[in-house]
Amino acid sequence: MAGRAGRAPYGPLADNNGAMAIDKRSTRLGVLALISMLLIGAVGTRLWFLQGVEAASYQAKVTAAKIRQVLIPPERGRIFDARGRIMADNQRILTVAIDWSVIKKPKARQVLFERLSGPLTVPVIDLQRRYEPCFEEPTIPKCTKGQRYSTLLPLPLKEDVDEDTVTYLKERSEDFPGIQIVEQWKRVYPYAPLAGHVVGYLGPITKETVQQYKAKNYNTNELVGAFGVEMSMEDVLHGSWGKEVFEVDAAGGIVRELLDEHVDPIAGQDIQLTIDLVVQQYAEQALETKLKQRRNLPTDLLGQDIAAHNPIDPKKAPSQERVYSSSKEFGTQEWIQFKAPAGSVVVEDYSNGQILAMASYPRFDNRWMGAIGGDKFDQLFGEKIDPTTGKADPDKSVLVNRAVQGRYNLGSTIKPFVAWSAMHSGVIGANDIYIDRGTYKLESIPDDVCASGVRCEFKNATNVRTQRSSSYGPVAVADALAVSSDAFFYRLGEMFWMIDEHNAVLDPALKGKSTLKEGLQRFGFGAETGIQLPFEWNGRIPDDAVKKELVDNEVLGKNEEPRLLVGDNVQAAIGQGLMAVTPLQLTNAYSTIANGGFLRQPTIVKNILEPLVPDLSPGMADLSKAVIVLSFDAHAYKDQLEMPPEVYEPIIGGLSRVTNAGGERSPGVTDPSGFYHTTTGEKLFETYPMNALPIAGKTGTAQGAGSYPWNDSSVFGAFSLDASAPYTVVAYLEKSGFGSKAAGPVVKCLFTALAGRTFMDPVLPSDPLDLNALEPAPPTQLADSSCMPAAVDARD
Amino acid sequence: MALSMLSRKPDSGLGNIRASPGSPSRNIDWILLFAQGALAIIGLFTIYSASYSKFPNPYLYVTRQEIFLIGAVITMIVVMSFDYDWWRERARFLYGTTIMLLVLVILVGAISGGARLSFDLGPLKVQPAEFAKFTALLAVSAFLAEDRTDTLNYARFVKGLLLVGVPTVLVIVQPDLGSASVLIAMMMGVLLIAGAKAKYILLITVLSASTVGAAVVSGVVNDYQIDRITVFFDQNSTDPALRDLVFQGRNSLRAIATGGIDGKGWLQGQYTNSRDIPVQWADFPFSAIGEQFGLIGCGVVLGLFAILLLRIWRIAGLSRDMLGTYLCAGVFTMVLWQMFQNVAMGIGLMPITGLPLPFISYGGSSIVTFFALIGLVQSVHMRRYR
Repeated sequence: MAGRAGRAPYGPLADNNGAMAIDKRSTRLGVLALISMLLIGAVGTRLWFLQGVEAASYQAKVTAAKIRQVLIPPERGRIFDARGRIMADNQRILTVAIDWSVIKKPKARQVLFERLSGPLTVPVIDLQRRYEPCFEEPTIPKCTKGQRYSTLLPLPLKEDVDEDTVTYLKERSEDFPGIQIVEQWKRVYPYAPLAGHVVGYLGPITKETVQQYKAKNYNTNELVGAFGVEMSMEDVLHGSWGKEVFEVDAAGGIVRELLDEHVDPIAGQDIQLTIDLVVQQYAEQALETKLKQRRNLPTDLLGQDIAAHNPIDPKKAPSQERVYSSSKEFGTQEWIQFKAPAGSVVVEDYSNGQILAMASYPRFDNRWMGAIGGDKFDQLFGEKIDPTTGKADPDKSVLVNRAVQGRYNLGSTIKPFVAWSAMHSGVIGANDIYIDRGTYKLESIPDDVCASGVRCEFKNATNVRTQRSSSYGPVAVADALAVSSDAFFYRLGEMFWMIDEHNAVLDPALKGKSTLKEGLQRFGFGAETGIQLPFEWNGRIPDDAVKKELVDNEVLGKNEEPRLLVGDNVQAAIGQGLMAVTPLQLTNAYSTIANGGFLRQPTIVKNILEPLVPDLSPGMADLSKAVIVLSFDAHAYKDQLEMPPEVYEPIIGGLSRVTNAGGERSPGVTDPSGFYHTTTGEKLFETYPMNALPIAGKTGTAQGAGSYPWNDSSVFGAFSLDASAPYTVVAYLEKSGFGSKAAGPVVKCLFTALAGRTFMDPVLPSDPLDLNALEPAPPTQLADSSCMPAAVDARD
Repeated sequence: MALSMLSRKPDSGLGNIRASPGSPSRNIDWILLFAQGALAIIGLFTIYSASYSKFPNPYLYVTRQEIFLIGAVITMIVVMSFDYDWWRERARFLYGTTIMLLVLVILVGAISGGARLSFDLGPLKVQPAEFAKFTALLAVSAFLAEDRTDTLNYARFVKGLLLVGVPTVLVIVQPDLGSASVLIAMMMGVLLIAGAKAKYILLITVLSASTVGAAVVSGVVNDYQIDRITVFFDQNSTDPALRDLVFQGRNSLRAIATGGIDGKGWLQGQYTNSRDIPVQWADFPFSAIGEQFGLIGCGVVLGLFAILLLRIWRIAGLSRDMLGTYLCAGVFTMVLWQMFQNVAMGIGLMPITGLPLPFISYGGSSIVTFFALIGLVQSVHMRRYR
């Protein structure tokens, strides 16, 4: 090892072969010098590039980092009803946030969060997950690591904190370093759950829509309209973001605001709807009251037509036929209550297309959205499982506005439009008489084909009293509408089918006439109405292409012909089979008859107003101070249907006889045997104040699965005959029985109320949302249901 | 001095024998001293600018550094006033003491940043790894100079390797990879001059790499050091755990780059005045120089280092014996490597380590060690005629 003392003295090497050694030493030193030059050269070159060449671009980068932009949220436009009631409002809320810098260290973060957990009543783990989404959650696969909150703004810990908590935190600011109180907007719905489907709600921007919102300068973590008017009018309501730009020092402290760059936020425009909340509330109450009545019909009133009407014939069960007998005909039998799960009511002003009320049941309180999540949300709004089938039950889905999304058969309520199409096309004349013998046999199919099993006979509905298919004798258009003669319209269905060139044309006189589809399209069926609501369904009028598509998509069985058969058209003519519409389309179609042929676009928005309409009183906006930006108040009609008196009068006449608007003793039809057939609404409207507001209408009973009576859906469409109160009302109650028994009374009650003969409850701001509730919306009912007794004797 | 010797008349006799031109005190390398002093004074200014805005007492760090400097100058004077042969005779003792201290520090050393690097002696923290730079150099040079040959056979190579390898492994275990890399660089430099073949140098490299690798795998090296390597290969990492390291490196780079040609001016650097570069006065003094004085300032500092290295290199060649040459070569490579590593990590060329910039960085151990090493070099220069 080093220093073996006493050995040779350490002198120069030169005494040996010194010259060579010196040479080698200098060579090796040269290598060292070379290495040092290389290293210093590398550093020097890099410095030259950094400081000499790239300095400017780095400076630009650094300058950008020294500017902090704070976005100022715009106040979202508010939504009023027609009278100015504030249906969607904004509330300033206080949010507790914390500077990122004070919670950078895990220990400090844990201590602070533990301290804050109590006052904020938020578990520590939830606070940790705001900082780090995957905190102590390694097993959950959907946990994404990305930070949800902007690191430029303080980390929000709890939204909507009450004043007491804020005071508590502020008083102890030395215990809570870095805590900031931030003001934010929160959407509130003072009258929820009224018109929940119409107003809609807000939701986060989804993956699918994020690009489109980014293009509109949205902040990706803001809430946007996700349903109803909130969604369809998002662009109007949103407003635009403002910003404050600050120059900050390297520690992040604000040096000054760059006032040149300041942009004030622009509040969103307010919206006045056409909805009148008083009528809306009444419609929702009437609908729910009636549906619940139909679910709980009395079973003890034997032999009376007001009892539950769905006995199962034990000899035939499971019955393939409709059973109309009252219970006395069978010994013991099981009663099946109507399911009556859902429904819809639409009230329209037929003079201008404005929707006064649009109810959809089941209702929901739009304050749930954003207030809850996860399991509770699934429990309230997730798929409801049908206990008998074990599958999801679409009848009970909540987040569907059935008025524009429902896909419904119309039943007999389609008949006025088929009648108009037939008369307009010239298939029949107003006074042509058809002799209704209770059944209709197809003419276009030869007898031998019929004998081979093809269905050629179509029956009228069975009369409750006679237990046989009603046979009305000679009827014209008006009579057929009044008593709802199916045979009359079956025949029209076949005649329309024969117009089509490649179907057999028996009668050359039919050639070239307009078809049923063309007629129905004039009323707006088969196309979106264009109302300002999302997810509207366009409806379906059957033709070859539609049927082929249904067969291809396996909606219909594979053995079905992929083209329209005569039977399909015959069914369509009485509103069954493939014909399907939304309640709103039906309403607007009745309005088109009511106003003498003007097809309008229904609208739910009355006016778009300048932002920040002031309040008049709590819950009311002062519309007198509102400035209208865009009005939908008196927009033009889209189409004018030809309604000469010879076409118009039989239709109006027939529909007036249904409700017996004329107050005649026998508005129905007496058949050749002398039997008097009442009109479908005659009994129902006996108690209606026809003098106060005369109305005409039509019942409909849409047959459901298996044609079981308990699957019948109830429809009624009616309109005022008084132009000073221009209302059309349509009610559709799923699986609730005859048109005159469920939907009819709802419409009747609404007209009674619109006529001023029933008191409609005043509308009051609602109670706070009960977060423990088990239903999406609290139950409601008519205060006075005398206009709709639980059971009514009437028939289809 | 040399000039006075030349102008001396031939007939003036021997004159004062103690003032002979060969006297050590008349053969101090003043240029080396000047470069070293200039760097140290630049260091004082740099430390002030990088720390004054961050503490209540703006002179806190610069005052301490002045005290360290005084200590360092005294140490250097002590080292250079002895013949380096005198130091060689004590190499065995010094080396043994160092190994003991290194073992001791691993066992009882103060915990700092998860590593056991120093003894905590009240106000002073003593890092044995710094001693090792001095004593290991002395030991390996003394050993190699024992045999008066300029070739390095395998047995001598292995012994030399072991002499430096033992303290190096102990330093890695601390773990202080930065200091270990300095020891390895020194070993390479000395062995190169001693005649190590290229394959020996390669072997050192492989051994070093595998030792460090083994240390990483066995968990001796803490996560922080691994993070530094990770960040070097992903300088834009968004992992929150690496955030501080990423910002440290990025901000240092930006500070230097935005300095431009002539810098932002004394005390005008936003980064240097802010807390964006943690412990800038010790770890990133070069970024403070680059931001405030730009390319010109960096050039001056690098130039001073170049002069310093050139002088050491020259002395290595002038040495009266191989021991002096080895000592100078070791000091040369240590200064070169540590300077390169510190500057390069500030501009993103090397991973971030805690290696201070010689003569400039704040820190007592570092400044004392380098002054002592320069003292050795001066000793070689002073006694080259003896």
